[in-house]
Amino acid sequence: MTTQPAVHSDHHAEEPSYLVSKRGIMSWLVTVDHKRLGIMYMVAVLFFFLFAGVLAVALRTELFTPNQDLMSAQTYNQVFTLHGAIMTFLFIIPSVPAALGNFLLPLMLGAKDVAFPRLNLLSFYVYCVASIFFIGTLINGGLDTGWTFYTPYSTSTGTAVIWATTGAFIAGFSSILTGLNFVVTVHKMRAPGMNWNRMPLFVWAIYSTAIIQVLATPVLAITLLLIIIERSLGIGIFDPAMGGDPVLFQHFFWFYSHPAVYIMILPGFGIISELITVHSRKHIFGYKAIALSSVAIAIISFLVWGHHLFVSGQSELAGVLFSFLTFAVGVPTAIKVFSWVATLYKGSIQYNTPMWYAMIFLWTFTVGGLTGLPLSTLAIDVHLHDTYFVVAHFHYVMVGGTVIAFIGGIHHWWPKMTGKLYNETAGKIGAFLVFVGFNVTFMTQFFLGHQGMPRRYYAYLPEYQSLHQVSTIGTYILALGLFWTMFYLLASLFGKSKATGNPWGGVSLEWQTQSPPIEHNFHDTPHVHGSPYDFPEIDKSAGAHAH
Amino acid sequence: MAKVFLNGQPVEHPHESHEHVSPMTTYNAVIGALFVLTALTYAVSFANLGPASLAVAMFVALIKASLVVAYFMHLKYDDRYHLFVFLGTIIFVGIFFGFTLFDLQSRNALNDEQETFVRLRDMENAGQGLKVGVENVPERKAKVLEHIEAHGGGEHGGEHGGDHGGGHKAEAKH
Amino acid sequence: MSTAHSHAPVHDDEHNPHLAHHFDTMGQQNASAKLGMWLFLATEILMFSGLFLAYFVLRMFYPEMVLEAHEYLSKTAGGINTAVLLTSSYTMALGVRSIQLGDVKKLRLYLVLTILCGCIFMVVKYFEYSAKFEHGMLPGKFYSAHLHGYEIEGLPHIFFGVYFMMTGLHGIHVAIGLAIMLWMFVRAGRGEFDKTNYVAIENTGLYWHLVDLIWIFLFPLLYLVK
Repeated sequence: MTTQPAVHSDHHAEEPSYLVSKRGIMSWLVTVDHKRLGIMYMVAVLFFFLFAGVLAVALRTELFTPNQDLMSAQTYNQVFTLHGAIMTFLFIIPSVPAALGNFLLPLMLGAKDVAFPRLNLLSFYVYCVASIFFIGTLINGGLDTGWTFYTPYSTSTGTAVIWATTGAFIAGFSSILTGLNFVVTVHKMRAPGMNWNRMPLFVWAIYSTAIIQVLATPVLAITLLLIIIERSLGIGIFDPAMGGDPVLFQHFFWFYSHPAVYIMILPGFGIISELITVHSRKHIFGYKAIALSSVAIAIISFLVWGHHLFVSGQSELAGVLFSFLTFAVGVPTAIKVFSWVATLYKGSIQYNTPMWYAMIFLWTFTVGGLTGLPLSTLAIDVHLHDTYFVVAHFHYVMVGGTVIAFIGGIHHWWPKMTGKLYNETAGKIGAFLVFVGFNVTFMTQFFLGHQGMPRRYYAYLPEYQSLHQVSTIGTYILALGLFWTMFYLLASLFGKSKATGNPWGGVSLEWQTQSPPIEHNFHDTPHVHGSPYDFPEIDKSAGAHAH
Repeated sequence: MAKVFLNGQPVEHPHESHEHVSPMTTYNAVIGALFVLTALTYAVSFANLGPASLAVAMFVALIKASLVVAYFMHLKYDDRYHLFVFLGTIIFVGIFFGFTLFDLQSRNALNDEQETFVRLRDMENAGQGLKVGVENVPERKAKVLEHIEAHGGGEHGGEHGGDHGGGHKAEAKH
Repeated sequence: MSTAHSHAPVHDDEHNPHLAHHFDTMGQQNASAKLGMWLFLATEILMFSGLFLAYFVLRMFYPEMVLEAHEYLSKTAGGINTAVLLTSSYTMALGVRSIQLGDVKKLRLYLVLTILCGCIFMVVKYFEYSAKFEHGMLPGKFYSAHLHGYEIEGLPHIFFGVYFMMTGLHGIHVAIGLAIMLWMFVRAGRGEFDKTNYVAIENTGLYWHLVDLIWIFLFPLLYLVK
């Protein structure tokens, strides 16, 4: 608990919030304020989420019947590729770190900004340039290789592969620079008294993510560069017609892309830790376990990429090793889920929108995580690889995991970021629609995959039609829920409700300053003397954790 | 004077910086060692060590790299976390190389068993092998041939061989 | 000569003109800058590692072809470049040492020497590359050396592809390094560096040493190893 009282708004009413401290569009375009950058990233990633989401709705509509409904087979290939590529590179990887991470990291650490504010601005512009390249892809022939760019198709197809790989290459640098910035910030910019054991778990999560960003993304960069060179110069490393090895490409690609999925989920884990503690007014169960398991996941994630190559021609022994290691990475993840549930136990649970999203997460992420186990079992994966089972698994962890956590986090920190409160009833309706829509869409896909429906297929046997139709209907419900959420959140910006500095009664430092914060975050440097989860109503004598 | 903090802990002497300055002798010794080791690598490359030559070359390169990192880059005298970052990176490179080469090695064994490269060579000899470079692009091949004709034509491999330290034709095969 | 320590004069950090608004002390600022640079170097190492892996895979699958093709690389040129880069690392390190002791003139001298070495590297590389181009030893589907009379058994276009990618990416990094050093030279001339503020020079040095490190491995692998 900090020594300072919650809000100073009455003493320092003259100092304006970061939103209005500097005026004019130029002040936003050249800002080095991490909060403004976080907001700009938020707008950008949510725009691409909307765009790629519409592509998904188009896909599912096409799949309503086995025959052509909306688009030709070639167009279908392009739509699922672009859905995947845009969602991966322009939405989900930057989403939590660049939007919420940028906004919250310095606040939670008690710092005035990140370690390298100008580098932060550069990261944002690099991201913008990357998105221009993706738009260029759309204009110059699209992309039909699948977001995974497998060779030799990607080195020989006529679509705009070079545009897309250049875009992803550039987006990678934005990710690297953000990660680098965050690692240095966590090491060097902590407030007085904040040692590693007193950092909020969201910070631990962002830190572990940043490590992966720094170590894994450069390998993606060289992989994409090699694709570009292979296409333009025909070197022959990946293309068998020129003497290369296509499985080598897969090793290169998945060395990044597997840790990348942990870049996607670890920040989500961090958000859930914050939501569950604050909205159940209870100290986190197993702080050290959750903190260290984030780091463990970051490290082990680099050892498991071969589980994407089980049926590609990888050696059996390598397959067995990777299968075993993949089981290992589930252990720290499960530790987290147990700790969150234990935190809820005997907590004073507030049934508000962020808590609903946290509870949805516990269900959907657990389903996603558990379905990873049959996929990591070598013998079973032989049957499930490249079926809808895999599609359902990764949507459960990415959408049911990261996106649900992201939306929950947006609600939780909405008052802090905007100074407004959204309509709570509308929030609950949105959460309900999203929950129902998501599960209807993707639970059916486990069955589809189990029955043998392959992924990325445009046409299918009539036996699969009824499940496909159920899944498509679910998509519309999910889309409705997401649009509804966007609507009431935007409406709150024009509403009159003003949020206080600490509407939820949180103890971490971001709640100890006004909403929205002033440009320099805190009027005086905060001093930290205890854990960010020591809620005032906790009875210390009842054996709560001492720090 | 207000208390100054770094990494959450109070700093004792915040306004003094204690940066280590290496003496000239250190730098001179290191550059000398680097040149000696380079000459060694160069000399050893002429001795026919067979498969050991890669290991020897990499070992010497490792020593040279360690000298550059420790003394020129000051890692020996720096914050220990920098060493952790550096070694961590090397370990992850090792993981990348290790697993990939391990998997490809097994495919190499499979190739030996299936005589893939023997069959590839037979196909090449029969004129059905994979095509080399510009052979894959007939228009460019035609342009290259035109260019050669225009600039003196025919074989000029032998004339330019000497000054490139070994640019000979098929006789240079080991 | 015994090791020296440089002590910054004891004055109020808060008014140091080089201190950025979000840092509390110069010590924090400099420590952050160096950590940031080491993390960046980590990313560069990982990026180049992909190319080194491609090289090792090539050696594994086509050992005779690699052996034959690499004979056409000029060991002399490679050797000169190695000597030049090692020297440039030496001069860069001495440049950092100079500014640690507050000698701006010497710093500028050493920066010039380092840039000079880098330029020699690029010139030698230019001659190397043009010789290759002339003889049709180009990457991938541009490879036409067999039409110029150089018969290499196997698929040498892959080897030359890897050769040009590795040395090319390295060369781009050398060029970027030269530009950065030139900028540091200009800044030093403006009096921006002194005994208390030289972390930008240190970081430039770290970048340049990395470029040297990559070459230390690249040279034996491509040019020398049988």
